Amino acid sequence: MPDIVAMHIPDGYLGPQTYVVMWMVMVPIWVIAARKVKRTLKAKQIPLLALGAAFAFVIMMFNVPVIGGSTGHAVGATLIAIILGPWAAVIAVSIALVIQAGLFGDGGITAIAANCFNMAVVIPFVGYYLYRLICGDAPSSSRRVISSGVAAYVAIVVGAICAGFEFGIQPHIAHAAGGQALYAPYKLSVAVPAMALEHLLFFGVVEAIVTMGVVAALARTEPELLQMMPAAKPLRWLWAVVGVLILLTPIGVLAPGTAWGEWGSDQIQSRLGYVPSGFDKLGGLWKAAMPDYTTPGVSNTMLGYLIAAVVGVALCVGIAWGAGALLARRRNNDGADPAGTVPPANASG
Amino acid sequence: MSAAFVLERVGYEYRSGAPTLTAIDLVIDGGQHVAIVGANGTGKSTLLKMLDGLVFPTSGTVTAFGAPLSEDALEDPAFRREFRARVGFVFQEADVQLFCSDALDELAFGPLQLGLPREEVERRVHQVAGQLRVEKLLDRPPYTLSGGEKKRVAIASVLTMQPHVLLLDEPTNALDPRSQVWLLDVLEEWKLEGRTVVMATHDLSAAAESADRIVVLSEDHTIVADGTPETVLAQRDLLLSVNLIHEHTHRHASTAHRHAHAHGPGQDPNLTHGH
Amino acid sequence: MSNPCPCCQPDILPAARRRGGGRSLARKTADSVAGAITDVLQNEETAARPGLLQRLDPRVKLLTLVLFAVTVSFVHSVWVLLGLVGLTMLLAAVSRVGVASFARKVWASAALLALLIALPSALSYFTPGQAVLSVGPVTLTEPGLMGVATLVTRVAAAAGFALLVIWTMRWSDLLHALSAMRLPDVVVATLAMTQKQILTLLRTVEQIHLARESRTLGRGTNRENRAWVTERMAFVVRKSMKTADDVYDAMLARGFTGAMPSLTHLRLRPRDWVWAAASVALCAAVLYADRIVGPR
Repeated sequence: MPDIVAMHIPDGYLGPQTYVVMWMVMVPIWVIAARKVKRTLKAKQIPLLALGAAFAFVIMMFNVPVIGGSTGHAVGATLIAIILGPWAAVIAVSIALVIQAGLFGDGGITAIAANCFNMAVVIPFVGYYLYRLICGDAPSSSRRVISSGVAAYVAIVVGAICAGFEFGIQPHIAHAAGGQALYAPYKLSVAVPAMALEHLLFFGVVEAIVTMGVVAALARTEPELLQMMPAAKPLRWLWAVVGVLILLTPIGVLAPGTAWGEWGSDQIQSRLGYVPSGFDKLGGLWKAAMPDYTTPGVSNTMLGYLIAAVVGVALCVGIAWGAGALLARRRNNDGADPAGTVPPANASG
Repeated sequence: MSAAFVLERVGYEYRSGAPTLTAIDLVIDGGQHVAIVGANGTGKSTLLKMLDGLVFPTSGTVTAFGAPLSEDALEDPAFRREFRARVGFVFQEADVQLFCSDALDELAFGPLQLGLPREEVERRVHQVAGQLRVEKLLDRPPYTLSGGEKKRVAIASVLTMQPHVLLLDEPTNALDPRSQVWLLDVLEEWKLEGRTVVMATHDLSAAAESADRIVVLSEDHTIVADGTPETVLAQRDLLLSVNLIHEHTHRHASTAHRHAHAHGPGQDPNLTHGH
Repeated sequence: MSNPCPCCQPDILPAARRRGGGRSLARKTADSVAGAITDVLQNEETAARPGLLQRLDPRVKLLTLVLFAVTVSFVHSVWVLLGLVGLTMLLAAVSRVGVASFARKVWASAALLALLIALPSALSYFTPGQAVLSVGPVTLTEPGLMGVATLVTRVAAAAGFALLVIWTMRWSDLLHALSAMRLPDVVVATLAMTQKQILTLLRTVEQIHLARESRTLGRGTNRENRAWVTERMAFVVRKSMKTADDVYDAMLARGFTGAMPSLTHLRLRPRDWVWAAASVALCAAVLYADRIVGPR
């Protein structure tokens, strides 16, 4: 079997300190997911989950053309979360991963829990809730398509960062006296950016292409498949979560030093002993409105940080929303929106 | 013979409003061998699924063994258990029906669901496996079986429940000639055993050979003919109009030749052409 | 009549041709899917051979092989890891699964990948320490190289034990073992059904790609190919959901109550106990040896 997914962790890269913890994290998640799924899907859960897992597995095998002659593979976990809901996606993707490891020999046995956490929990939940957040209450099909793409992109990058984190802590927590790594050899400062970049630049794009393409195709022919999950209570609590996260951002102020890669010229100077000429030239070009995450005019760093966070989040969400609305309006004007508004209730089997 | 199934003014519509069945009145007596024939899309499969309580009509009523067959009725565990044991359904695609990890589990699934004790389940499994000659296939996973073997295991998995009624959806589809002959033999045996058989098919020759009653569904989703094979198959114009046979012209040397023929495995003895 | 009678038309499909200079997209996927299907069918075959591991009770086999894999993860010494790699080869030989193909699968994919990924970490930039080899600005360090060696041997050993599980155990036996170890019935039933549906879907996907291959002359633009691929994926999703409905009907028709009992009984024999005891002892010995020999 070809190396399917960039995020797949084989056996041997994670030490027992890590993989055992992941097993301890996953077992309760599986139990909770199983209970939730049993309650919503009832007797139909077996065939629905089995087929969900089957198409999850099969989708990972398609070669997707990206750019030039390159092709990539998608995970599809956000797509599954959109169709089956996040809890069922946990089970379906977990089953697909277990079968990948146990039947096809792809991906390790001890690493199953870590892989399930990254791909069967993080991606579906981040992807699903981001999708719902951007979609709003009664989305048009083009709104669904855009939000699914954004959600899938962000979700897989977050999942990749988790995997990068798991790789990256290995040298920190397990090494021999001479500094020799016993498991995965790259530190956090290398592993996390590497995984993040790989997915930001390539695999995230593949994921977005696949998710948007399939959602668009389904919205055209079987829109009820995208509405199998009952329209849930409004996601106002999600805004509360975002609010809490915003409040927690000042913790960053407590961390000493500067984040990897985010050095200013003065820090480059002290690290390398000189400042590369290009850096020097371009460094001062953009005068940020809120430099270093401070708010001009507000001297208290904490408060400045908070205000910057709120402004930042507002801008991001606003841009996403606006883009969705613009595209929706354009589609409607073209008259090419067959799915139209969401019909009520979920389709039965 | 008491009536096994009574359908009164039964209709079925998709949510979008597209009709699948319209005003069906049908009575099937115990012990009968009925073939429901029609071109694709006439609703034969839906009708069959209604007889098994897998699908419920949007209008009209279905009665099975004297009791109404509705969604509510099947909620009662006792009724459900008895009904499921009495009526067996063989699906068009064997793959859909084989969902256990090996053939042994497949044959045991039904009786175990009925709550029978293990010794009884094992006894039935081995008896049916012997009858259908699938003993050697018992420990094999379904994906290693050929089309004909899968069909045999699928039928065996239904027979272990010892049903009085057998519903078969397009049974001769995708079967090689030898397996088709075998299937027709099995249907004969069931006739002798007194089981009720209802078969949905567009294979006219299989229908003619095994059924003692043919019901024809038109593309308007209603019954247009109901009688013995001889009477029904003689109505060539009717069969033409419902798209079960079509006219076909080919040449022998300089002579053009027009004849009616049907599609489906096997030759239909009633539809030969003459010069 | 609108459609010509298909039985009177010839049925010829051109054989899919291999293109010179790189396979097309459709061909690549078709090949990897075909490879996956072949792998599964092959597993059934190797699992039926009269080797040592095949004769063991599936529960014992699964547990002991997992025990070995876990032991691998605790070992620190490269030499002990190499010993464990040797053990996997020995077990492969004794179980008649074909040592050559076993070695190829372990070394040519898992271990090679590990080597490629890890090699840069031997550079002084990533792993500072005593220099071993210097070529210009590039320096390989001793702890760096030892780290690479440790990872590669560990990956090889772990992959070996995992492969032994797959090649010596039939999937249905694996499920029976999991069920006997008290994994919930619903989970086991879902695993069984998933595997079956995966194979069916894989066959369909292979057909789809081969059909495309046989009908396409040019390469197509990336945009066209992307649209085609995502359309096919949507087809797979639709088909899966429809199949789920059909299978559910079939389960209902056989009286499905929601529970999934099974009929097979597994029994432990003397050889299973012997094997279990030997494995536990071996793992203990390995860990002890590692204490003495391995880096701390």
